[in-house]
Amino acid sequence: MGEQNTSTPSRRSAAPRKKKKNQIPLGFLTVGIIIVIAILLNTVSSTVSFYWLTGSIFGFILQKGRFCFTASMRDPYLTGSTSVTRAVIITFAITTIGFSAIKYGYASSGQSIPGMSSVVPISLATVIGAFLFGIGMVIAGGCASGTLMRVGEGFAMNALAFFFFIVGSLWGAHDFGFWKEKFISNGVTVFLPDVFGWIGAVVLQLLVLLTLYIVAEKYEKKRNSSHNL
Amino acid sequence: MEKDKVKFFDRMKSNEYYVRWLKNPFTYVTAAVLLALFQIVTLAVTKNAWGVSGAFAVWGAWLYQGIGGNVDKWYYFASDSAQATLNNGILNHPDSWRNFGIIFGALAATLLASGFKFKKIKSIKQVFAATIGGLLMGYGARLAFGCNIGALFGGIASLSLSGWIFGIGMFFGAVVGSKLLVKYFM
Amino acid sequence: MKEVMLDCFGEACPVPLIKTQNKLKELEIGDVLIVQIDHSCAMKNVPEWARTEGYNVEVEEVDDGEWEVIIEKNK
Repeated sequence: MGEQNTSTPSRRSAAPRKKKKNQIPLGFLTVGIIIVIAILLNTVSSTVSFYWLTGSIFGFILQKGRFCFTASMRDPYLTGSTSVTRAVIITFAITTIGFSAIKYGYASSGQSIPGMSSVVPISLATVIGAFLFGIGMVIAGGCASGTLMRVGEGFAMNALAFFFFIVGSLWGAHDFGFWKEKFISNGVTVFLPDVFGWIGAVVLQLLVLLTLYIVAEKYEKKRNSSHNL
Repeated sequence: MEKDKVKFFDRMKSNEYYVRWLKNPFTYVTAAVLLALFQIVTLAVTKNAWGVSGAFAVWGAWLYQGIGGNVDKWYYFASDSAQATLNNGILNHPDSWRNFGIIFGALAATLLASGFKFKKIKSIKQVFAATIGGLLMGYGARLAFGCNIGALFGGIASLSLSGWIFGIGMFFGAVVGSKLLVKYFM
Repeated sequence: MKEVMLDCFGEACPVPLIKTQNKLKELEIGDVLIVQIDHSCAMKNVPEWARTEGYNVEVEEVDDGEWEVIIEKNK
């Protein structure tokens, strides 16, 4: 798997080795708690239980993969690495195919398309909001999913960021009326299949993602070789 | 009995499957594929893409109401569906529980790999970084109808141009954030 | 042939990697840098970066949630 080295340096650290506590039992206990809570929630609502379970799965995958959207956008600039960027592109590509298949299935049989709440008006509010979010996630050391993941990992700093994320959200909700009136209501909503047709939109988006992938890979190689000069 | 149980978990540490699946990190690509899979499952089952930050605004409202505030006149919370969400409480709010799930799933993953450590805040710079960063994320996500998950991941995968616009804005924000991080918060 | 410790405990992403990059610039060929990390992202991206640079890298888990990334500046 590669975590343990390619070639071994000449010595090991002399730091005193504490006896490691085995946390695996606690891990299984946590999994047990997750399952129990799922069952309990199911008595209230099967929907809530499902969301709890999928949340747990997302948290598990994100932590095991050290998957960080923040890193995907920050590292190309800060360290020259695009490995996370490329992984995010892969996720987007696969999901595009799956989402489009589901949506087209509904559309072509005349039913209303699920997930259209993700298709939102584009306005200055979108750009400014995204820009602010981008700044915030790098400074705070994690995006939305990353913050939650790191709270679970025991980072006090991200727990603090989590609290202020909530405060900021309330503030944003308070001001939302202003942004809606001034910008969002004049925004344009663009659902790509409306413009390019279903197949056109999917193919175009996949081509763009593929191009970005290649650009990201070449960019990393270029930054590395200029390092070694 | 207790000693046998402890020995069982100690032996597990060198079990081949434990090491491959629970101990070692996933590759980025593995995680990428799995995330896509469960995002697709989410759309198929819940009829909506995964979202994280929406719940934060609701939590903020509940906390604010808890200290005597009122959000009912705010445009954001004025709609019937928003009022219903606020009034039905947290047990009936699926988004809240998905977010709690993320925390617990990450905790479980960390403990199963025997890698949990509580990491205290190290400096006042971190306090400022967490505070300012959190506020910016919260505010920005409301303006843009979501965060990296709802607006970026969900938007792009849903073939909405808004997702791409969000991505471009987020990228430039990340560049600026990186400069600020190195200059003021390191 | 020095051995240098770099304490990055409690640092948020991407600080361990940036500090590692800067410290390695200061070292001479043959020196060994030991980066102490407790951030799961850094435990992945610091070795990854060091390996793409061509250095000898070893990762050791020294306690629950604590790692040492041992980097030998061999070029």
